[in-house]
Amino acid sequence: MHLVRLRSKSERAPSLKTTATRLALVFAALIFVAAFLVLPLVTVFAQAFAQGWRVYADAVCREDVIAALKLTALVAAFAVPLNVIFGLAASWAIARFDFVGKKLLNSLIDIPLAVSPVVAGIMYVEVFGLRGWLGAWLSAHNLHIIFAVPGIVLATVFVTFPFVARELIPFMQAQGCDEEEAAVVLGASAPSIFWRITLPNIKWPLLYGTILAASRSIGEFGAVSVVSGHIRGLTVTTPLEVEMLYNEYNFTAAFAVASLLTLAAVVTLIVKKAIELATGIHGERETGERAR
Amino acid sequence: MSIAIEKITKNYGSFHALNGVSLTIASGELVALLGPSGSGKTTLLRIIAGLESADSGAVRLHNEETAHLNASLRGIGFVFQHYALFRHMTIFENVAFGLRVQSRRVRLSRREIRERVTELLSLVQLDSYARMFPDQLSGGQRQRVALARALAVRPRVLLLDEPFSALDAKVRKDLRNWLRHIHDELRVTTVLVTHDQEEALEVADRVAILNRGALEQFGTPQEIYDRPVSPFVYNFLGNVNLFHGRLLAALTAQGAADSSDAASIVGFVRPHEFEVTRALPPNGQAVPAVIERVNAAGAQVHLEVKVAGNKNPVAVEIAKRQFHELKLGEGEEIYLSPQSIRVFNDRAAAEQLLEQGAGI
Repeated sequence: MHLVRLRSKSERAPSLKTTATRLALVFAALIFVAAFLVLPLVTVFAQAFAQGWRVYADAVCREDVIAALKLTALVAAFAVPLNVIFGLAASWAIARFDFVGKKLLNSLIDIPLAVSPVVAGIMYVEVFGLRGWLGAWLSAHNLHIIFAVPGIVLATVFVTFPFVARELIPFMQAQGCDEEEAAVVLGASAPSIFWRITLPNIKWPLLYGTILAASRSIGEFGAVSVVSGHIRGLTVTTPLEVEMLYNEYNFTAAFAVASLLTLAAVVTLIVKKAIELATGIHGERETGERAR
Repeated sequence: MSIAIEKITKNYGSFHALNGVSLTIASGELVALLGPSGSGKTTLLRIIAGLESADSGAVRLHNEETAHLNASLRGIGFVFQHYALFRHMTIFENVAFGLRVQSRRVRLSRREIRERVTELLSLVQLDSYARMFPDQLSGGQRQRVALARALAVRPRVLLLDEPFSALDAKVRKDLRNWLRHIHDELRVTTVLVTHDQEEALEVADRVAILNRGALEQFGTPQEIYDRPVSPFVYNFLGNVNLFHGRLLAALTAQGAADSSDAASIVGFVRPHEFEVTRALPPNGQAVPAVIERVNAAGAQVHLEVKVAGNKNPVAVEIAKRQFHELKLGEGEEIYLSPQSIRVFNDRAAAEQLLEQGAGI
């Protein structure tokens, strides 16, 4: 699809029409991708296996690494469903209703994309930390948020917030609410409309957004680093573990754990591509159809 | 079931969609709501359905106040302009939807649902499409599915929102005849929104004409066509020619007499209501004109003629036979005398219509 689009554009622009120009551009792009993406990725795996399978396995099976992997899974298990719920609610509100402050809400959703994750982290420290606004009250009730798992979940939810909503809002706006109105008139109740009409219609963009959110929540470093406190075995997620191992000059272990994260990213990419191919989301044909 | 609409008002911000519209529709009747876009007809239909709420006024279904009755409880069938079929369901499931979501107490059994859906699909002549999905069907077929889906729950009232406007002319014509047959068979009270006067006049028992959120006229197609109450209605129902002042006086006997009102009087004549002659008729009520354009494609010959003193050309329709008998052609001189002229004492309104490109 992309190839087709490129070709039709080059036909309109005579200066790009020559084979030489095209070859040069393609070559430049390939060199760039190889140098900045493929080579570093290969290095990760090369370094991870530099001292053989056994060292790799030992590194991955360390107690604190297992703990970090478990924590990452736990954080994702909380952050992703929360995001799906928030994302659905926000998209529904923005796509289906007119209310005062709708535009503001629509822009606010993008804040996590615009702001540096570190800022998100210190924001939470400022609110929930020991010397923060709610700090005294929280410690009086023996609730630990900063330098504990809840803080890591909060920070992760913050940075992944836009992913589901950003997928759903344009899709739901383009689709309109005709089908839901038709279901209302036919006598369907609100839950019945949601499960039978709305959800089946948005399942692919919803899954797509969920995968993006999941991959980001597994890989998030900056915001989590600020609120974590780096307590090994307790508040260290997988990306933090990689950094700590690296700073301890334990390169092989660092790359071994990094290779796991990379693998997760590759799997995400494949699933994402599969959804795109299966449904045509972000493709020309489908968006054209929806817009109609 | 009867529908009583009482002084419905609806505003969107500063836009007045409906200004106190009242209308009573008898049980089993097919009524068309006709008007240009922005006249409030779709808003009124959605208020009857309960998809919008009125700012003030009441809708009574079968003498029952509906203000607090949710759209899902009104027993209404609604057909949308763009079909609004459930795209992830088969045609069969689309039609079955309303039956499946009924509360357990009244829900039909699986077998009964299958029978009812099959029956409806054969009513709309789509039996063999049950397993297909909406995007495999043509526009006309989709709208028939939408109608079957709306009828599946045995609605007390059927509401159609410009159901045929997205279809091409031939399919549109077939479907509206077919809708009329279905209505005659089922006798369910039906309200049809349309901006197509031909569709409204052909299909409906009675036509309600809306303009800028107000009801202009409500009556049978013949009443509305023969006795339009305002220049707007007259103009909306077909092409018109507009005459005033000296020309109007020449065309009507009385026009010349009361010169005080002359400035505000306008006369309307439809293109087919002209008598065309080569010579001045004996009673003298005719104006000379020159044929500027001839379009002979179709059952009638359409002439565009220039009348001295009239800014716009006048549209005239005559029978083909007469056209040949009189040996007419472009540049020929003729006399026009209206067989029927409708006079309104409302020049401001009439001129406004003219400015909007009405008439020719």
